[in-house]
Amino acid sequence: MRDGGGTSALGKAAAMAYRWRVWLLCAGIFAVMGAIAPNFLTARNFADILKGVATNLPAAIGFTIVLLAGQLDLSVGSAMTLGGMLVMGLAPELGWAGAFAVAVSAGVVLGLANGLLVAKAKINSFIVTLGAMIIVYNAMAIYCQGGTIATDSFGLSDWLQCPLIGSAQFGAAGANKPTAWLTLWLTPRVLVPLAILAAASLMLRRTPLGRGFYLLGGNPQTAWYSGLRVDGYLIGAFVLSASLSALGGSLVAMSEAAGSLKLGENSLMAIVAAAIIGGTSMEGGKGSVIGTAVALVALTALINGLSCLGAGHEIKLMASGLVLALVILYDAYWLYRKHRTKGQRRDLLLELKTKGAPT
Amino acid sequence: MTLRLTIATGLVVAMASCIGCHDSNTSTQTPADRKAALAESLAVDVSGLKSTDNQPLIIMDTSPLKAPPRPADPTKLPDTDPLRWYDMEYAGWNCKKVNMPISPADGAKGKYVMCLRHMDHPYTTAYTRGMEKIAGAYGIRLKTLTAGNADVNIQSQQVDQVINERPDLVIIFPVDATAVVPMLRKLNQAGIPVFASNLIPVDRGMPYVLTWTGPDDWGQFRMLAREFAEKMNHEGGYCIVRHMPGGSPFFSRTFSVVSELKKIAPKMKCLDMQTTMLEAEKTAQVVSEWLTKYGSELKGIVSADDSGAQIGINEACKNARRTDIIRVSAGNSKVGMDFIKAGSLHAITYQSPEADGALPMKLAADWFNGKTDLKPVYYLPKHVITAEDVDEYLPAQW
Repeated sequence: MRDGGGTSALGKAAAMAYRWRVWLLCAGIFAVMGAIAPNFLTARNFADILKGVATNLPAAIGFTIVLLAGQLDLSVGSAMTLGGMLVMGLAPELGWAGAFAVAVSAGVVLGLANGLLVAKAKINSFIVTLGAMIIVYNAMAIYCQGGTIATDSFGLSDWLQCPLIGSAQFGAAGANKPTAWLTLWLTPRVLVPLAILAAASLMLRRTPLGRGFYLLGGNPQTAWYSGLRVDGYLIGAFVLSASLSALGGSLVAMSEAAGSLKLGENSLMAIVAAAIIGGTSMEGGKGSVIGTAVALVALTALINGLSCLGAGHEIKLMASGLVLALVILYDAYWLYRKHRTKGQRRDLLLELKTKGAPT
Repeated sequence: MTLRLTIATGLVVAMASCIGCHDSNTSTQTPADRKAALAESLAVDVSGLKSTDNQPLIIMDTSPLKAPPRPADPTKLPDTDPLRWYDMEYAGWNCKKVNMPISPADGAKGKYVMCLRHMDHPYTTAYTRGMEKIAGAYGIRLKTLTAGNADVNIQSQQVDQVINERPDLVIIFPVDATAVVPMLRKLNQAGIPVFASNLIPVDRGMPYVLTWTGPDDWGQFRMLAREFAEKMNHEGGYCIVRHMPGGSPFFSRTFSVVSELKKIAPKMKCLDMQTTMLEAEKTAQVVSEWLTKYGSELKGIVSADDSGAQIGINEACKNARRTDIIRVSAGNSKVGMDFIKAGSLHAITYQSPEADGALPMKLAADWFNGKTDLKPVYYLPKHVITAEDVDEYLPAQW
C-alpha cells in the first residue's frame, strides 16, 4: 500500500517538476551562479542580466507566436538589424519618433511579405524566412556601406538606460542597497519589452484572438473547420514577429546610440534555444511567451555567470548548448514515458502485478 | 502557482541574503604602505623581456606626434588624397580629454585589470600572451573577456559587467571603431580608467580614453607601398584585397597605399579593390576574377592580411600560372613568413601581437605608478619584413 502511495507522490512531484521545468532551471542557474560566480548576485548585475534579456525579448515573443502557429521565422535577427539600422540612419532627418515609426513599419512590411508567401503562395516558412534573412541582411549592408551608424546625441540613449526611480542614489557605492534591487533595472529599455511580454501573454491566454494561434498550430485542419481565418492568422503571426523584432532592434540601437550589422546576427540562436527550452513545441500549438521569457532569463544568467567566472566564449556557447540538449532529452524522456503508459489503468496494472492474473 | 511562488520567493531570499556581502573595496593602506608598494612597483624592470620571436616585448615608436593642419572638410577631398582620411589617421591626436581619472600613484602590484578583446583569433591569443607577461611581472591581476565572434552586443554587455565588477583599469580592444564610442563614454562616466588598444576608435571616442596603443597602420602601409613600388619598378596595375568593414584597417590598409603610390609612383594604377572578409576561398575567387579580367595588365596585389587572404591570393596566382605577380601584405603570421621564405610573398609589415598586448599593460602599470603625461596615442614601431631579414622574426608569434 505504501509503495503505491509513494509512487503516486513521486509521480506527482515529477509531473510538477516537468510542468515548471523552465522556472526550476532558471532558479537553479541563479542559485549555482550566485554561489560560485563573483559579483553575480549584485543589484547592478541583476539589472545587466535583465538588460541582456530585453535585447532579444521582443523578437523572442514574435518568434514564439510564429512557432505557436506551427511555422518558423528565421528572419527575426535580420529584422532586428533592419530596425536598428533604419532608426539610426533616419533619425537625423525624421527625428527619433519618425525614424522609430519607419523602422517598425519596415518590420511590418517584412512580416507581411513573409506571411503572404507562406499563407498564399504556400511556400515553406523555413525557405521563405531564410531568404528574407539573407536579403534583409545584405540590403542593410548596402545601406550602411559595411559600417556602423552612430549618433553623437546621447540624450535618448541615456534616458532609455536610466532607472526611472532613484537613479541618482545608486552610484558605485549604493549599488547594493536593498532598494537598488528593485529599482536599478526599472529602465525604459527593460520595461518596454516587459510590457510587450505582458500584453502578448494576455492576448494569447485570455482572448479568442490569441487562442486562435494555438488552435492553428495544434491542428490547422480543425482550425479551418472551426471557421478560423487560417491565412489571416498566419500573416498576422509573421507581421507580429517581424515588427516586434524590428521594434526590439530599434530599442537596442537607440539605447546603445549605434546600429551595426552585427546587431541581430547572433540573436537567432539564442531566441530559438529560449523558445524550445521555454516549452514551445516546434510542431506548434503548445507553449507560452512567458516560458520563452523565463528561458531567456535562464540562458542570459548562465552566460553572465560564466562571464563573471572569466569563462571563454566557447565555454559559454557549450554551456548554452548543453542546457538545450538536456532540456530536449528531458522532454523526449517525458514523452516516451507518457506514450508508454497511454491508455493504461495504473490501479488495475498494480493489482495484476501484486495478485497475479485471474485464472 | 504555489510552486512558482516558492521559486520566486527563494530567488528573492537568495538575492537578499547576498545584499551587503559585496562591500565596495575600501583601501586600508597607510601612506607608508602606499609608498612602499609604489617603490616596489617602480623597481620592476620589463625592458629585458622578449617576445616568442626573440624581439623585445616592449617596443614603441618614440617619434613626436606632429599632425598636419586639418582641412576644413576632409570628406570633400578625393579618396586618393591622404588628407581625406585625416580624422581616421589622426584620431584623438588633438582631442580634449574629459573626466580623466587621477592616477592612484600607489604602484601596480595587486591591481585588477580587465581586458575586453574583440574575438578569439591566433593574433589575440598572442596579444594576450604579451599582456600576461607584463601583468605577471608587475603582479597585476588580469581578467580577459572575449566579445564572441566580434559581436558588438556582447562587448556592450561586457562593458556593463566591467562597471559591475569595477576593476582598477580596463583595456578595450574594440569590435567596432564607431560602436565603441558609447561604451567608452559609459566607462568614463562610471569613473573607470580606460585604455583603448589595437583598433583605434573614431575621433569622438578618444576624449574618454586615457590613451590608445596599437600599430600605425597608415604609416606601416605607406612604408609597405614604397617597398611595393620598388619591386614593381614604379609602374603597372595593381589590386587591393581589403580588410573587413567596420574597423579602421578597412580604410588604412587601402587608402594609405593608394595615396602613397599616387605620390611616389604615378605610373602605377589601382585597377580594383574588394573585401573578401579575409577568407581564403573568397579571396581566391575574387583574385581569379581579377586575373581573368585584367590579364597581363595586373602586375601586383596588396593584401590586408598575410594568412587567410594571402593563401587565397597565392592559390589563385598559382592556378593562373601568374607567379610573376608582386605580392605584399600586412603581417606577420607564420603563414606569411613561410610565404616570404618560399618567395611567394615579397614583403609584409611587422606587427608584433605580443608587443601590441604588452604595451597597454606596461603603460597601465606606469599610470598606476603615477605617470600622468600620457600621450594621446602610442604606436608600435614600423618595419617591413622581406626575404633579407625574415629569419630575424622567426619563430612566428602566431
